[in-house]
Amino acid sequence: MKKLLVASLFILGAAQAQAQNQLQDMVQLNKARAEGKAAFYANITAVEPIIKAFTADTGVTGEYTRISTSKFVATAITEFEAGKLQADVVQAPLPVLDLLKEKGVLASYRSPAAAGYPEWTRKDEQVQIFGIEYVGLIYNKELVKPADVPKRYEDLTLPKWKDKIVMANPANHPTTISWLVGLKENIFKTEPEWRDFLKGLAANKPMFVASFGPTPAPVESGEKLIAISMPKYIVTKAPAPLDWARLSQPLMGSPRAIAVAAKAPHPAAARAFVDYWLSQKSMEILAKDVGEYVLAPGIYPPIDGIKDAKVIAIRELSDDEIQKWGAEFKKIFDVK
Amino acid sequence: MNGPTNPRTRLTWSLIFIVGALTVFPVLMLVLGSFSEGLTAFGHFTTDKYVAAYTDPAFFEVIANTAIFVLGTSLLSTVLALFLAYLNTRTDIPFKGLFRVISIVPMMIPHLLFAVSWALLLNPSNGLVNLALKQAFGLDEAPFNIYSLWGMILVEGLLELPIAYLIVAPAMASFDVALEESSRVCGAGTWRTLLRVTLPVLRPAILAAFTLGIVRSLASFAVPAMIGMPGRVQVLATHLYTMISTGFATDYGKAAAVGMSVLVASVTLIVVYRALTAESEKFVTVSSRGFRPTLIELGRARLPLFGLVGLLSLALIVLPVAVLLYTSFVPYSMVPSSRAFSLMSLRHWAAVLEDPISLLALKNSLFLAVVGATLGVMLSVFVAYVIVKVKSRAAGLLESLSYLSFSFPGIVIGVGFMWFFVQTPLYATIWALLLGYIATYLPYGIRPMASAFVQIHGHLEESSLVCGASPLTTMRRIIVPLLIPGIVSGWILLASMFVRELTLSVVLSRPGTEVLAVQILRFSEDGLWGRLSALGIVMIFISTTLVVLATVVGNRFKAA
Repeated sequence: MKKLLVASLFILGAAQAQAQNQLQDMVQLNKARAEGKAAFYANITAVEPIIKAFTADTGVTGEYTRISTSKFVATAITEFEAGKLQADVVQAPLPVLDLLKEKGVLASYRSPAAAGYPEWTRKDEQVQIFGIEYVGLIYNKELVKPADVPKRYEDLTLPKWKDKIVMANPANHPTTISWLVGLKENIFKTEPEWRDFLKGLAANKPMFVASFGPTPAPVESGEKLIAISMPKYIVTKAPAPLDWARLSQPLMGSPRAIAVAAKAPHPAAARAFVDYWLSQKSMEILAKDVGEYVLAPGIYPPIDGIKDAKVIAIRELSDDEIQKWGAEFKKIFDVK
Repeated sequence: MNGPTNPRTRLTWSLIFIVGALTVFPVLMLVLGSFSEGLTAFGHFTTDKYVAAYTDPAFFEVIANTAIFVLGTSLLSTVLALFLAYLNTRTDIPFKGLFRVISIVPMMIPHLLFAVSWALLLNPSNGLVNLALKQAFGLDEAPFNIYSLWGMILVEGLLELPIAYLIVAPAMASFDVALEESSRVCGAGTWRTLLRVTLPVLRPAILAAFTLGIVRSLASFAVPAMIGMPGRVQVLATHLYTMISTGFATDYGKAAAVGMSVLVASVTLIVVYRALTAESEKFVTVSSRGFRPTLIELGRARLPLFGLVGLLSLALIVLPVAVLLYTSFVPYSMVPSSRAFSLMSLRHWAAVLEDPISLLALKNSLFLAVVGATLGVMLSVFVAYVIVKVKSRAAGLLESLSYLSFSFPGIVIGVGFMWFFVQTPLYATIWALLLGYIATYLPYGIRPMASAFVQIHGHLEESSLVCGASPLTTMRRIIVPLLIPGIVSGWILLASMFVRELTLSVVLSRPGTEVLAVQILRFSEDGLWGRLSALGIVMIFISTTLVVLATVVGNRFKAA
């Protein structure tokens, strides 16, 4: 009888707590609705379906401003210092958010929606990591025979790939620079081995483009056969004849993160947006429609074999390191 | 007559105030940023950014490449513009109306797409022209490599051609053929007359086209990025890009420090240009003593020359537009083949035309083009008048001010505008874009009008004033009707530029103020070439409609 009473009290307490949480959520959502909109600054592809779903599901208008990575910090800081930051939520590669955090642009917020994410993704009180900008080798599956597909990164140095590779400029593209350094720190056993790889890759005279965006087109058209690029293009560029090389080594990429802005014009709407962004529903859209590698458990992009790939987040390089390695790669790759 | 009460002096200083307000502040912000510690315009004074920018060992190679690139580009575009303008305005070559329109179309093609089209034709791996030549002549290697300095000059030269043409053609159209006739009467042949009379008289327009070509190609980014970068040819624009894109904490102050040398070079060019055209009386060809443009009969050269222009038009218009159309229908980047044609669909078109942001961008760009170009031309008429007819130091200052924002590399000036507008209530509104566009591209409005003003004799104005008309009435009744070709050219240049403007828009555009070029850039960043091409064709269609309308309205005014 006593046990039953305790159990009943426990259930009652839990129900009350749940009801209280729901009430709190309702209060928060009503506040967000009263604020009207959540402005979102990011540089991420095709997230309009998430913004649309957020607006439909919450009654708060989501507003997306896309700002390229090279202008992201300059824009956010200029607006913040002038007291005119228009963003409620900012999303960018982790090093960008770290810079904004240093300048006091970010507010503290731990979203309950991130509860199921791996522990390492909760970097601090401000920043939540939700995905990895994963980089791999994508190739033209109509022009490259299965036997010729690289099995290891080192295969890119084989003479058969001479004049057949396209990649983002290793002298200035931050993600490519970080990725190349990531190879040294995560893949190659010794620095000389890594340097041999770099020299071999450079000897194959890859064609350089400004960023990852222009890398798939030359592979699709057959101008080049293989790209150091992002497997997500297999999804966004379907039915292009692209596939990714299943390497015996891990895939790597920079972490993507999200945070609420300090002095956000719509703070409740900002929190509602972050909660929504980190939800299963949004992460599924991001993975399925955009091919992103997200860290919400059990969600993968619809790319054959990617579920079994080991994808690791590379160390975030400081700007000084990026400059230093960019200069080094400039020499190695003979970038004029 | 030179005191502050003189209407011309008042007009000059009013314009200095207006143009100065539009152009000085963003540049001033960049100057501040270049001397400030940190990432914004306001910080502790430092010269470190200049030291770092100008002691970079790569800088001198970049300067050498840039000099070859800009001089080659300007030379190519000016020579081609002269050739086309001469044939179109002064000879009996057939299908003239068509040629006038097609010599303007490349200006409407987004530069990014134009460069990509040429890469598709002339890349050494599977460029269509290279493949055809290899097959036809059994060659082992591709004969052309577009990813080179000459490739950059070719593509940028073709892109700058319409601007040069729109400056040279009005001057050519109002050329007094009596000068040429006198030359022939004195025994000179056609070539001698062309070299000794026609070209010297057109000197202001030629120099204007050449100067503008240099300034534009210095600021150009699409061709250096799409063609120079894969060929590892670094010029100033890509050097600046490298500077701002290496790392996440972009230091625009350092980029502005490099931009200052471009600014100095541009202002020097303007001073040289003013000195070379100082005696503008020499170039006056429309006076009150009768003016009639007559046509030169080409005779047997008519058809071969028409064929040559046709070939040029093919390279300028047909090939890039065909590539765009083709890319908008195929599912992904494919070399033309029967399979590619069988896979064609309207999916990219549907995606673009059903995208609310693309449609809003279309509306905003149209508004900015029509309203911006009209306001820009109104301002340009007065500025050009002062620059040409009021030969004072203040007029020189006005001309330099009009070039100020324009001369700064596009990749940096947008940030200058952001630093400026964020201090005003205009930030994140369509009006910031409108003012920024007019401030930056004012020379496009001024140059064709200045070339036309140079050729209108002061006697016409003086006669009107003597007869009791006010300066404003003189401007409205005498000067403006004679300026119609220049006004139409200026409006077309500005409107087409505003339809595809990217460098300011990418920094100043916000939700609700999206524009076409930014939307195209988004598609390019995501590698969505099909959508990009579809929207590019929409952009070309809008610009063509505006050009045709402007030409028709201009012709009506002339007829009236």
